Formats: sequence, structure tokens, C-alpha cells
Amino acid sequence: MSNAAATVAAEPLIHPAVKASADTKAPVRIAVKELNFYYGQFHGLKNINLNFHDRQVTALIGPSGCGKSTLLRTFNRIYSLYPEQRAEGQILLDGVNILDPKIDLNDLRARVGMVFQKPTPFPMSIYDNVAFGIRLYEKLPKSELDDRVESSLRKAALWDEVKDKLKQSGMGLSGGQQQRLCIARTVAQRPDVILFDEPTSALDPISTGRIEELIEQLRDEFTIAIVTHNMQQAARISQFTAFMYLGELIEFSQTERMFMNPTERRTQDYITGRFG
Amino acid sequence: MDATNTLAALPLARSRVRPGRRRADAVLRGFCAFATLIGVIVLGSILLMLIVEGVRGFTPTLLTQPTPGPGSEGGGIANAVLGSLILTLIGIVIATPVGVMAGTFLAEYGRTSKLAVVIRFLNDILLSAPSILIGLFVYTLMVRPMGSYSGWAGGVALAIIATPVIVRTTEDMLSLVPGTLREAGAALGAPPSVVIMKVSWRAASAGIVTGIILALARIAGETAPLLFTALNNNSWFNADLMGGIPNLPVMIYQFALSPYPNWQQLAWAGALLITVTILALSVVARVVIKPQRAR
Repeated sequence: MSNAAATVAAEPLIHPAVKASADTKAPVRIAVKELNFYYGQFHGLKNINLNFHDRQVTALIGPSGCGKSTLLRTFNRIYSLYPEQRAEGQILLDGVNILDPKIDLNDLRARVGMVFQKPTPFPMSIYDNVAFGIRLYEKLPKSELDDRVESSLRKAALWDEVKDKLKQSGMGLSGGQQQRLCIARTVAQRPDVILFDEPTSALDPISTGRIEELIEQLRDEFTIAIVTHNMQQAARISQFTAFMYLGELIEFSQTERMFMNPTERRTQDYITGRFG
Repeated sequence: MDATNTLAALPLARSRVRPGRRRADAVLRGFCAFATLIGVIVLGSILLMLIVEGVRGFTPTLLTQPTPGPGSEGGGIANAVLGSLILTLIGIVIATPVGVMAGTFLAEYGRTSKLAVVIRFLNDILLSAPSILIGLFVYTLMVRPMGSYSGWAGGVALAIIATPVIVRTTEDMLSLVPGTLREAGAALGAPPSVVIMKVSWRAASAGIVTGIILALARIAGETAPLLFTALNNNSWFNADLMGGIPNLPVMIYQFALSPYPNWQQLAWAGALLITVTILALSVVARVVIKPQRAR
């Protein structure tokens, strides 16, 4: 059993040269405290306690329906678009409880960006896609806006591919490019935290590789939470991993330790492919 | 050799289908083809007759002169064409904002709320309400109090016909916009109004425009709601649109029933003109919706 777990961790797919090791002393940016979540009557998240560290990638893994996306969707309160969904407990972002009804949702979402499973470019030009979020909050002169759009596209590793067609529709790009466009759009707002909800599950392996490299680079600037159902991906890109099952947080630790030597039996069963 | 074998094996494989099934297939196919043929023949003969009779009325004065007096020769339908354009324009200018806003409410804000369900139900009834009733409604509402038939009343009646069409297509097209696109907008901190105007409307724009064009085509040929509202008028009309307003559908109705060959001829020409216009609008609507389907 421990042998099998070790094999997963020893996969050469992990880029030890690229990936930074976990910084356990990094300050906590998001602290989840006794979080419960309900879809109508259904108890989707049960008493979650979890910390997300500054400029670290934290992966949320677990089988379908375990609540990993639900948890991610509480951090920008995107769930509140749907009246039957509600969260109880506390989520402290830099010490402020974002579940407080007095929190301005638009401010919160400017600080906590999100990238979705399927690329979601807006039906407008590449330039306008990236400028969309900036224009919501800031009135920048044209030249400054141009600079922000360029630097955002550069950070999303898309600039060289689109610099000559910024006026063309974002819908015309390939799937992987569209996803990087969405990342550029999120980065452009200069958020503190970026949430990725299975960002590569709709992409081919090459595009997936580029997004993973990108996430590693973005870690220099942003605190990152990523939901993935791909355990190798979690092992490749994250410093911390949380394993969830049936709405509960089963185990949370540094990614290496989680994959090498999980303390919980269910974690071990899951990462060795015994269920999932 | 292999090829011959395959060919030889083919009838054997075919025989596994029961003969009764093949017969049933042939019968159903026959019925479908027959029904289609009847439909095409009826539609074709209407169009053919319209073209043959209508083209004869396309004289040089058709679009330059107003309708002639009873029993006189020559003349045209210029006043009716212009009147129809004005009525249709009034109708669509009123119906578009109301329809698009109501459709947006249903798709974006109301969704499954009680109010939205009731509005959706009423809209569906309005969509299939007999248009003569709408004419009578506007007659009571506007013509009687104002003491005169008017272009305004005609325009309002047409607007009431066009609105439910636009409401429905707007709602349908907005429902096709993926929810993830709205979430993506909200996730950037955009309030619902911005998401609707900058994202949803944009994504559904081709479909919404198509709905407006189809509504335009629908009201361009409406006769019944105009009988009680704009009526008709065989001369040029006043700029204030009070009094009867000449318009193509009612002109056709009156002239076709008249005993004068010249009037009958003008009615044919008017009918062909309306048909061609509606056909053109439908084609435009199809062209507009195409790029969206391709996405």
C-alpha cells in the first residue's frame, strides 16, 4: 500500500526543478473557520477548517461531488447568484470575514479572481476582454490601459500569440488560448487571490502543460487555490493539498507529504486509485 | 475476389429486415412526400398567381402616385406604401424596447419567480391572440377617446402584436447564453446590470435582432388590427397622423373587393410588394442568425 502511494509521488511527471517547495511559514491569506454550506436542504460542506497561505498554490482534490468546487465557490461568494445556496461560518480574507452580509461583493470579487472549467471569453475583442475587469473599477487613460492589457497578456503567456490581433474576437482563439485569455482578464484586475476551478479539464495535454507552467509563475504574485480531479496535476503544481470526501475535509498537508505519506486511510485509498 | 464476396453477401444481410418493416417505411415515406407536395403546390400556386397578377400592376407610377379615385385609371400606391412604412416603424419602435426589456427580465432577473411565470403565460396568450381583438382593444383605448382613426392608434396596435414576439425571442436567445459566461462576469465583480448589457446582450445580439426582424415581418402584413385603428385613406395623409392613414394591407382589402379593375390591379401589385418585402426580411433574419449558430 505504502509502496503504491510512493509510486504516485515519485512520478517523473512532477517538475521538481520548476516547482517551489511549500513555505509553511508563509502568512495565512484565507482562513476558513467552521464553514458549512447548503444547497437548499442538502448539506454540501460540513464544518470545514482550512488555511490558504500567501503566494502558495493549494490544490483541492477529491472524487466528484465531494464539495471541492463548492468550497472554491465560497471564496468569491459566486454561489450567491443562486438564492437557494447559502454558507454559514467564517471565511477570513486577510482577517476580514467575507461571509459578512455587509461585504461589498463587487469589491470582494475584484480581490478574489476566478478562472472556470470551460474557457469563458466574452463575445468581444481580445483587448476588450482583458480590459473588461479593469474598466469596472478604474478609469485609466488609453495609454495606461494599453499597458495594463499588454502586461496582463504577457503574464498569461498569451501576448506573443495575440499582439497583432487584439481587435479580433476572443471567441476566435483556440481553447487553450481562450483559457489563457481568461487568466489574463483575471490577472488584469490585480487580485490578491486567484481561484481555478478545474482550469484544464476541457483542454488538450499541451495546453494543459502551458496552463500549469503559468500557474507556477503566477504563484510569485498571487495566492492560488485550484480544484483539480487530476491527482498528478495537484502533485505537479501545488505546495499544499486538501483532500475532501463527501463534503468533509479529510486531510490537509504539504503536497509532498500528502502524496508520499498520507495519514488518513481514505486519502491513501483515493490517491492510490482505490476509489474515486 | 473479396469485393465480389462482399457484394454477394449483401442481399443476404439485407433480408434480415422483415419485409413488413420495409413496406411500412415505404408507406410512411409516401405519405410524407405526398403531404409535402400538397403544401408546396398550394404555396407555389399562391406565389405564382401573385407574381403573374402582381407584376402586371408594376407600372412606372406605382410608387410615385397616390391611390386613384374610384373608377379612374392610372395612379399608384405610394401613399399606402409610405403609410405602411410609418405604421410599421411606429410599431417596432414601441415594441422593441418593451419587448427586449421584458424578455431580459424573464431570462435574467425573473427566471422561475411567480411574477415571471405569470408574465410568460400571459405573453404566450398574447402571442396567439386573434389580431382583430387587438385592433378592437386599441379602438376602445385610443380611437374612441381621440375621436378619430389615426396612425398612432395603428402603430400602437401593431406594437402590441410585435411585442410578444420580441419578448419570446429575446428570452429564448438569452436562455441560450451559457450560465458560466454570467458567472465569469460576476466573478470579475461586474454587477448584474453590467453583465446583462455587456455580456448577455452581446452574446445573444444576433438572435435578438433576428426576433425584431421577424416581428417586423409579422406586423408589415397585418390587416385586422389596422381596420379599427388606422383604417385607410385614399389620399396623402396629414403630418400629425390623425384621420385615416393609408396602408397596404387595408388598401389591398378594400381595393380587392371593389368592382373597379384598376383598383383590383393595384391590390395585386400591393400584395406582391408586401410578400416580397416580408420574404426579404425573413432572408435577412436568416443571414443575421447564421454567425451565431456557427459559434
